Amino acid sequence: MRPPAGTTDLPVLLSPTAVLRQHDAGMGDPCRLLGPRTALFLVVAFSMAVAGAEAATAPAAPGVIASLWKWAPLIFQGFLFNLLVSVLAMAIGTAAGAILGLMQISLLPPVRRGSWVATQFFRNAPWLVLLFYCMLLLPFEVRLFGLVIPLPAWIKSVIGLSLPVMANVSEIVRGGVQSIPVGQWESAEALAFTRRQTLWMIILPQCVKRMTPPWMNLYAILTMATPLISIVGVQDGMTLTRAALSAENRTELLVPMYLMLLSWFFIYCYPIARWTIRLEQRFAVKG
Amino acid sequence: MEAIADWFKWLNAAHGINLTIFYDDFDRARFLRGLLTTLWLSVVCIALSVVIGVVGAWVQGSRFRLLRRLVQGYIQFFRNTPPLIQLYFFYFAVGGLLPRVTDAHGALVPPVSNYAWAIISFSFFAGAFNVEIFRAGIEAVPRTTVEAAEALGYSRLKAYIHVVLPLAFRVSLPALNNNLVNLVKTTTLAYAIGVSEMLYAASQIWSEVLNVREMMNVLLIVYVLVVGALVWLMGRWERAMRMPGYGV
Amino acid sequence: MLKTILAGAALALALTSVADAQTLDKIKQRGSIVVGVKNDYKPWGFLDPSGKIVGMEIDLAQDVANRLNAKLELIPVVAANRMEFLQQGRIDLIIATLGDTAQRRTVIGMIEPNYYAGGTNVLAPKSAGLKDWKQLKDRKVCAIQGAYYNRRVTQLYGPELVSFTGIPEVLNALQQGNCIAFVFDNTLIDSTLSSGDPKWANYEMPLVTEDEQPWAIAVPLPELNGPYGEFMKKVSIDWHKTGKIVELEKKWGIKPSPFVAEMHQKHKAM
Repeated sequence: MRPPAGTTDLPVLLSPTAVLRQHDAGMGDPCRLLGPRTALFLVVAFSMAVAGAEAATAPAAPGVIASLWKWAPLIFQGFLFNLLVSVLAMAIGTAAGAILGLMQISLLPPVRRGSWVATQFFRNAPWLVLLFYCMLLLPFEVRLFGLVIPLPAWIKSVIGLSLPVMANVSEIVRGGVQSIPVGQWESAEALAFTRRQTLWMIILPQCVKRMTPPWMNLYAILTMATPLISIVGVQDGMTLTRAALSAENRTELLVPMYLMLLSWFFIYCYPIARWTIRLEQRFAVKG
Repeated sequence: MEAIADWFKWLNAAHGINLTIFYDDFDRARFLRGLLTTLWLSVVCIALSVVIGVVGAWVQGSRFRLLRRLVQGYIQFFRNTPPLIQLYFFYFAVGGLLPRVTDAHGALVPPVSNYAWAIISFSFFAGAFNVEIFRAGIEAVPRTTVEAAEALGYSRLKAYIHVVLPLAFRVSLPALNNNLVNLVKTTTLAYAIGVSEMLYAASQIWSEVLNVREMMNVLLIVYVLVVGALVWLMGRWERAMRMPGYGV
Repeated sequence: MLKTILAGAALALALTSVADAQTLDKIKQRGSIVVGVKNDYKPWGFLDPSGKIVGMEIDLAQDVANRLNAKLELIPVVAANRMEFLQQGRIDLIIATLGDTAQRRTVIGMIEPNYYAGGTNVLAPKSAGLKDWKQLKDRKVCAIQGAYYNRRVTQLYGPELVSFTGIPEVLNALQQGNCIAFVFDNTLIDSTLSSGDPKWANYEMPLVTEDEQPWAIAVPLPELNGPYGEFMKKVSIDWHKTGKIVELEKKWGIKPSPFVAEMHQKHKAM
């Protein structure tokens, strides 16, 4: 589809697709992976930390494993809540971002410029600051046409996280559409397709494949940003871990507890990263 | 200066828009210190993460399997876990395990302060991405190019420095810039461990003066300007370094 | 961009002002009262392993709910967000170790009589050898984000404050020597030290307690003198009269506060 951009008589560089993919992904390219070995490494590190902590435990105190076991169900619920927040924020952000992204390729200059500015604004603002903003300045309920819609804290945090997601999706959509060679637009026009038809029937179907890996990458980044909601007072896995640590008040629990939470995130995000790479390789355009 | 301060005092009295950072010396100093800390954190972390990236990419090309594995483990751990929990893990958990040292006041303190942990944690986080970015850049340079350089009389090292690295760097630049911009945004997390960067300073002010809305807006605008300036600079640099006939 | 920001800001402004003025009606209507409490402030408000918030202030909140014949809903707050939550109407009442200061009175309605009182002091390891507030100059001192005494202590004694949003973080940082002292309410320090936990055996509260501040439960400012505010004032008087707070201090193992004892004597006589 794409004309190999680097083709010259003197090929100085290898296929640029790998590099281009990173550019789209926004957060670098999770290259080759080690497979389950990394996971194994994590398990080993975790057991070592637990064993170390166990050794440091005062004889009278309950064991580290027992303490972890006692709190794990509660913290796991909090972790599931993180995942729920990530899914909702992704859904809202994707819907809003797709619209914003299509506006960025509009033929009307004001729409194009306005959506570009909005995209840049929310892309450049730190996630945590946007989260604070929504948390402290959104009202607790909204009245629309006499209907009172309550906005509890966790919904506000979902909105706060979906704003940067929206901006990033907008860029992914714009980048995806613009990665399709102009020739396709021109040939479609020659075949009497309207602009809308070209976009929906020719351009977008090709983009979806290209946009999937960066979109999944964004989802992983979002999931890893969800513990930020603990800073603004929403009870998530992180809050509950801290609460558990404060209730136990035992220093030797610090490393295993945080590692436990870290490994849950790892177990969730790592397969997504692997899957992203597989998709990237499958969709890669041979250059 | 006086006039500006007076005008903002009037703004507060007349319209209830309370921007203490423009007329209260204590708050202004705090906010500016926060801004400087944010910039300083960003610069130090960018530099360190690039170093980590270069060294990591070099190690990934090494012959020792174990070494490569270790770097891979590092990359995967940092890429797939939340940076906030990493920060807590370092500051509270790992920091607690280190031996204490005596400070200037004769008190036993941990050898690594919260500022240092923030720098370490963010640099390693961004560094994990940088390793992959540089690695991909180096791989984009074909063996034949290196061989051609060697045929022209370059030694291996010289070819690496004069041919491979400049090409690899240019290839990596877009992804690198993106990652570094993200790093600057990530420095806000240092708030959680009491590093007095800009978000921290602003939140101190709004929780004391109770001007959340005003400070929130100031904060958002300043961040967007700072990050926007960085993006713009990086973009210019990227264009200046662009290789003709290559790339989007 | 400017348009988007302005529109957004205007929207935010317009929306924040819809907070209902008739909290009592709202409570009746939904059959529950939403109270902002601490969940990291043992024994005033903290989590038990099942995830439930318990503590002395939760008992007080339950008492308010019982009097209103309403269900109790708890929302955990921290010092840095509790007043916004009340203003926005996300919570109906604050019972969260809230210090009653003149500045705060301009934004939320402080219920009198105050139900508790505390001053400012520091928790420090004995090895730090603190004797005087002035020794804090240029040293790292831990604090809680949004506590009213942070500014005063910084301006008077010049410590380098390292503040966190939650108390667990602070206690952790203190135990690890990340700061030499923790500037905090003397009441909590007292209860921490007297808890008999060996963790705190080598810690002390070495300075002279300063800046005594009463604590207040708080309602939205417009309702301070309305039926809701008046109702809460009666509740607070009743707590002192019946010795409810003295009793709860005992239940949660809090060192009896002279302020509470005095208020109890005073109101009992009335």
